[in-house]
Amino acid sequence: MTAPTESETLLEVTDLRTRFRTPAGTVRAVDGVSLTLDRGRTLGIVGESGSGKSVLSRSIMGLLPKRNVTCEGSIVYDGREISSLPPAERRKLWGADMAMVFQDPMTALNPVIRIGRQITEGLRFHLGLDRRTANENALALLRSVGIPEPERRMKQYPHELSGGMRQRIMIAVALACGPKLLFADEPTTALDVTVQAQILNLLARQQRERNMAMVLVTHDLGVVAGRADDIAVMYAGQIVEKAPTATLFANVRMPYTEALLASIPKLDEPRRTRLKAIPGRPPSLIDPPPGCRFAPRCPYAQERCHREAPPLRESEPGHVYRCWYPVGVEPRRDGAADRTDTPTPTGAR
Amino acid sequence: MPEPATDDPVATDAEPAAGTPAETEAPTEPTTVDALVEEVEAAPTRKLGVLGWVSIVWLVGITLAALLASWLPLPDPDRSYLEIVRVGPVQPGHLLGGDGNGRDMLSRVIFGARTSLWISVGAVGLGSVVGGVLGLVAGYFRGRVDTVVSMLFNVLLSIPALVLALSLVAVFASAEQDVSDTRKTNVIILALAIVTVPLIGRIARASTLSWSEREFVRAAEVLGASHLRIMVREVLPNVLPAMASIALLGIAVAIVAEGSLALLGVGVRDVPSWGNMIADGRSDLARAPHIVAVPSIATFLTVMALNYLGDVVRARFDVREGGL
Amino acid sequence: MTLARELGKRFLSLAVVLFLVTLFTALLISMVPGDPVDTLVPLAESEEADALKAQVREDLNLDEPLHVRYASWLRDFVFGDERGEHFGDYFRVSGRDPVSNRLAEALPVSLQLMVYSQVLALVVAIPLGVLTAYRAGSLFDKVTNTGAFALMAVPTFVLGLALAYYIGVWLNWVPPSGYVPFGEDPVEHVRRMVLPSLTLAAGQIAVYMRLLRSDMVATLQEDFIQMARSKGISDQRVLWRHALRPSSLTLLTVAGMNVGTLIGGAVVVEVIFSIPGMGTAISQAIFERQYVALQSFVAVLAILYVVVNFAVDILYAVVDPRIRHARARN
Ligand SMILES: Nc1ncnc2c1ncn2[C@@H]1O[C@H](COP(=O)(O)OP(=O)(O)OP(=O)(O)O)[C@@H](O)[C@H]1O
Ligand SMILES: [Mg+2]
Repeated sequence: MTAPTESETLLEVTDLRTRFRTPAGTVRAVDGVSLTLDRGRTLGIVGESGSGKSVLSRSIMGLLPKRNVTCEGSIVYDGREISSLPPAERRKLWGADMAMVFQDPMTALNPVIRIGRQITEGLRFHLGLDRRTANENALALLRSVGIPEPERRMKQYPHELSGGMRQRIMIAVALACGPKLLFADEPTTALDVTVQAQILNLLARQQRERNMAMVLVTHDLGVVAGRADDIAVMYAGQIVEKAPTATLFANVRMPYTEALLASIPKLDEPRRTRLKAIPGRPPSLIDPPPGCRFAPRCPYAQERCHREAPPLRESEPGHVYRCWYPVGVEPRRDGAADRTDTPTPTGAR
Repeated sequence: MPEPATDDPVATDAEPAAGTPAETEAPTEPTTVDALVEEVEAAPTRKLGVLGWVSIVWLVGITLAALLASWLPLPDPDRSYLEIVRVGPVQPGHLLGGDGNGRDMLSRVIFGARTSLWISVGAVGLGSVVGGVLGLVAGYFRGRVDTVVSMLFNVLLSIPALVLALSLVAVFASAEQDVSDTRKTNVIILALAIVTVPLIGRIARASTLSWSEREFVRAAEVLGASHLRIMVREVLPNVLPAMASIALLGIAVAIVAEGSLALLGVGVRDVPSWGNMIADGRSDLARAPHIVAVPSIATFLTVMALNYLGDVVRARFDVREGGL
Repeated sequence: MTLARELGKRFLSLAVVLFLVTLFTALLISMVPGDPVDTLVPLAESEEADALKAQVREDLNLDEPLHVRYASWLRDFVFGDERGEHFGDYFRVSGRDPVSNRLAEALPVSLQLMVYSQVLALVVAIPLGVLTAYRAGSLFDKVTNTGAFALMAVPTFVLGLALAYYIGVWLNWVPPSGYVPFGEDPVEHVRRMVLPSLTLAAGQIAVYMRLLRSDMVATLQEDFIQMARSKGISDQRVLWRHALRPSSLTLLTVAGMNVGTLIGGAVVVEVIFSIPGMGTAISQAIFERQYVALQSFVAVLAILYVVVNFAVDILYAVVDPRIRHARARN
């Protein structure tokens, strides 16, 4: 598919750290995240609310507030280091190279601007299209995201449309300039269950047709199960387990992932949209626990877990996790786990 | 109950939020970006701060000086000293110099504070009581009472406040009627109080509307407490902060209004007030600008202090008002 | 249908407001201590004076009870009197003069002053509000905000006196007082209106700027602003095209309600700068005890106030389509 000259890797993030300075202290919202994403592939990012998923995707895009934020680490996009680019350069990538679909379609479209204008705006800005061509493109886009009567919709305002419709509009806005990388930040959380699958399928189809890479953020492992090539599980600003999807589901290592998995609704149970299965609350990001961050809530936690932070270790190719006593590795005793696995301190691959 | 169409939408959606300090202290980190940023934004205004203390010190100081003016070692504010006619600050024995008639500026500005503060505080106090009661009753009983009271507020608001005050003062205490200053002062207080009524009344009404919906008020109703008791014991304490913040701004507005009336020639004449000092100094602006400057600065500082404290109260209790 | 109902409701409330406002001014005259005619026509005993006084007494129905007097004023105000004049008479020693003449002179002047100062206030306040919100927390923001806060505490008359003296007299840049109609000499008209407009605008600038800033800061936290940014369009465009309109509703409301303040301010400003507008006319009417004129002036201003607020309400719907649709639905 891809041209032979291009490398397969589209995005490579190394040791990304994002901090917010607040009156209460420094919030380490993303704390040393590394990941890679190949062209046309999908990376699922899963974690509870507040684990830093949105901040991570916004940090990669560069879409953070301007004040009281520091963002360190390397972000190589399409062979180019973009983390050090001046804001104006960085902005040129937005919309044209990378785009974002936001969580809540009710609040993410401007209430006082017509749908048509919201779609054509990016087209005209990035591609320099005239009004007519931009309108035609927008109509085609609306059709391709499955919006009936696109001509009429173009003249409407967001509040005149249903949530599902609005999410489709938002996808059309994000896709307008043909980005190579799409961040979908919980694109279905705010939607009715019946519409969720439609939107996810729409995203998958568009992704296939455009050979676009996607970062699919969700707190529901069930959502990414069949759709992502790789899955990264986030907890308290860190990636705690990452593996190709099949591997992850076959060999869960991290107790946190296990708990997440247990909270996926079964087919015969009424469907839940929020997972509440894990007791306790995520730790403070201002002053995280010294050992494993999950230890206070972990059913298997040992004394060492509270004392020493586990490094990211690789169990099989491409499968890394952050745990002293991983699930499925017997016996779960001190030291036993160390011998089976090779530590990879920086390892993200 | 649907709002009458004439009501402005901002005033009606004032909703008191329980901004207890304990809540903000708890280390529960907000889950969303927005919540947190909002908190960062709101944080500095909630505290009194240095400026707040400076404002309080100034207001307390000027009030005390005004109250104790007769006992302070000051020259008679009405006596002329030939040596300080139009002489600016700083003079021996006359710190702020003298005015066009050689009267001591320091003494006059302090005695002037007495007049200006008495008029403005009196007017806003009176207006707050009347406006507060009307607003409370309207917001609590709703229905007819509310319609009538709101209409009254609208009427009062649609006559420009200064024009209203001007007409009242001109009719009841005009210059050629040879009225005493006491009577004139009372008329001015009354006129400015009438102007204050709708301002305080609307905020009291809006605030009562939302508070009287709360469970604890409902509970009191169910327990058989009388309307009066509920209004005074349950609703009023919650409505007061909103009224207080507007009242502080109201005092500032009244001080300026007193000055405007003086400038238009219907203010008090025989005792000094900041307004008539400024009005008198107009003709000497070229030769002796300090005659206008001294009372102007006093007015400015007082108004600014009141505005600042009003802001603090408003931020603290999350009062949303429909503008003044 | 709905618009007609809305309009009907508006007119009803306008009518009630006007009724009470003018009734209040009619009441004023009955409360004047002594014989109002003596204050209206302050002349020594003479044939002419007595004739004029008799005429005034009859004209104003001073011997009739309040409701008759009011009814006759109202009839004249709405339908015009026997000469077709609507606003009653202005009494002078020389005789009487229709109030409509005064209105025709004074109202346009005041409207000019108010429009100029509002435009000036908005033109300065909107960019400042937008930029301080964008740079919230920066030095620029702090300095501007502090400046605005201080400006709000400067009484209009102090500012007016200071500008008239220092810029008008001392620096002698523009004439410190007087009025020249636009038609007569546009340049001179502008030169004379600069200081009064500035004086009247100053306080409003501060209020509007602070209002817009705080609404804008809230808007800038909205998801749709992040969304707009993520399209890669310039920050300028995000601010002006995406954030300004949703942030301007409070500003609009307050600008509408401010008409009252503005008129009060105009009274003072007109007196300081000797501008023959409504403010001057009203204070003159008050001093000369021309209560019929006063009644008419106040009624006209109240109409102005209500009409402007009605216009603001319509503007609301233009600014925010959600309101437009909500209205269309019910
Ligand atoms: N601008 C900010 N200033 C301070 N802290 C912030 C800011 N933005 C995010 N945070 C903090 O960073 C942490 C991660 O937030 P983030 O929004 O990324 O979580 P999330 O995983 O996307 O959760 P959700 O599922 O609720 O969207 C949170 O604790 C949040 O409080
Ligand atoms: Mg999120």
